[in-house]
Amino acid sequence: MPVIEYKCPNCGSSMVFDGDTGKLTCPSCGRTDNIEEIPDPLKQQVFIEDEVKEYHCTSCGAVLVTEPETSATTCSFCGSAVVLSDRLSGELAPAMVIPFSITKEEAIQAFKKWCRNGLLTPSDFMTADRIKGITGMYVPFWLYDLHNRVEVHGHGTKVSTYTRGDYEYTETQHFDIYRKIRLNYVKVPIDASEKMNDEVMDKLEPFPYQQLKDFKTPYLAGYIAEKYSYNDEQLYPRAKDKIQSFIDSYISSAVSGYTTVNFTHKQIDTTLKQADYVLLPVWMVHYDYNKMEHTFAMNGQTGKVVGKPPISKAKVAAWFAGISGVSLLSLKLISWTMGGGFL
Amino acid sequence: MRRRYALWMVLFLLTVCWMMPTGIVNADGDKQLIFDDANLLSSEERNELNAMANKYGAERETDFMILTVDRVENVSVKQWTEDFYDEYAPGYDKPHGNTAILTIVMDSNDVHLEGYYKAEKYLDPGRLDKIRSKITPALSRGDYKQAFEKYIKTAHRYMGFEPDRNPDNILFNIWFQLGTAAAIGAVAIGIMAYRSGGRVTVNSRTYADDSTSGILDQQDRYIRTTVTKRKIERNTGSGSGGGSGGGVTRGGHSHSSSSGKF
Ligand SMILES: [Zn+2]
Ligand SMILES: [Zn+2]
Repeated sequence: MPVIEYKCPNCGSSMVFDGDTGKLTCPSCGRTDNIEEIPDPLKQQVFIEDEVKEYHCTSCGAVLVTEPETSATTCSFCGSAVVLSDRLSGELAPAMVIPFSITKEEAIQAFKKWCRNGLLTPSDFMTADRIKGITGMYVPFWLYDLHNRVEVHGHGTKVSTYTRGDYEYTETQHFDIYRKIRLNYVKVPIDASEKMNDEVMDKLEPFPYQQLKDFKTPYLAGYIAEKYSYNDEQLYPRAKDKIQSFIDSYISSAVSGYTTVNFTHKQIDTTLKQADYVLLPVWMVHYDYNKMEHTFAMNGQTGKVVGKPPISKAKVAAWFAGISGVSLLSLKLISWTMGGGFL
Repeated sequence: MRRRYALWMVLFLLTVCWMMPTGIVNADGDKQLIFDDANLLSSEERNELNAMANKYGAERETDFMILTVDRVENVSVKQWTEDFYDEYAPGYDKPHGNTAILTIVMDSNDVHLEGYYKAEKYLDPGRLDKIRSKITPALSRGDYKQAFEKYIKTAHRYMGFEPDRNPDNILFNIWFQLGTAAAIGAVAIGIMAYRSGGRVTVNSRTYADDSTSGILDQQDRYIRTTVTKRKIERNTGSGSGGGSGGGVTRGGHSHSSSSGKF
């Protein structure tokens, strides 16, 4: 049976992972179990290589309705937390996981606080009382270790000007520049879920890597988890693309002191040292406003919120008038102190 | 909340209203400031300009005068204008008082400006030169009314700035100020809107492994030096072969002046 469920040894209820304590917790009797100490049932299972068509809840026997990517969910009939273990083993076994440290209640509070801080958000949106749903989701990511050998040739100039008599002289010194750089990046995250918006996921970074734990299925209990839609090879170009701007900024910091620098030759050899499959915690907040559903994502460790809130035209107008008015007043004051008169 | 935005609105509108030019209601009994002996203007134009000169002059406590003649006999236009000042004794505050004079001589195409007392201080030779170069094109075209209007408005505007400031400094320009303020507001709103959806908080150092990264080899080889030279333009006065400076009338009244041809 590829469905794992954590039944409380005391009362038989379905246990879930609690982000506050970092332990497997029984919501009924309050029993807590240290995840590091209990054996992971995933490791003891042997799978037949058949594609499983249907999963059944081990508590009530109902068919579990899941999407093909889902690897952990809750039974829609009895609410038991279930883990679909065949979607987390073999090639699909995550190496590590960052568990949630922000609980659902804390996530709601943090989201409300974020809404209140929105400078252009409509006032009635700011009350944040229309949260339609909030889902804790472990999103599949690949963490890439990329080693780079960089060689650049270029032409640099140092320009100075001085005056002698009636003439202004511009002196330009020309240099040949060469740099050989070793540039290693570790744990560059790329989200591997097809559903998730790449731009939104990029903005959720950084995830605190000191919280990375060896993967154990109980961390998923009570949350939704997905398996990757793209493997590390498919996403390798995105990872290389992501570090491109980092490399460029390192190169330009390595050739300081010149007025202008022109690179004539730039060679970057990237080698993939390692790619780890990890699950990272994200709260998805669904919010109804003006009959439109807005979706926000929150880093399950840092509480950082990403997503486009609606923008109030009245507030834009007010801010514009305020800032422009103050700027105008300041300009007037400057021109007045310079003897230009106030009007 | 709403009240705070309303307050900003009011503040903004107040600022805008504040800067609109305050219209000064003009009573009858304007004094004659336009002496159009060369008949360059129609009588309506003359009345209109006279009213304008009175109105703008009152704000600067200075008589803005315009004299047009066909020719001046045996004297320079400067001498002629000085003599006019001595004999006619114009002045906003008193006879022989604050006065700016524009003299046009048609036969010799002379355009000449003088400033007395307050106008000497606020319309120094440099500013008179600027006014002259602003009105000369219209005079050459024969568009006298436009030239005279421009003279009154510019003299009026320049006298609003303390002496020895550049009145054409772009910082003093109301449109520049409005434009800049609006641009600052727009940029601020743009940044706020852009950042409202969350922004990227990782930089090029976030994932870099500093312990194993670094520059392995570098060369900065000097090749050559090139030098270019450029002649520095010295300021050689403005205007079409005109001269500027000042002087003292035979009656002992000191003034600034600027003259040229149109
Ligand atoms: Zn229990
Ligand atoms: Zn069930």
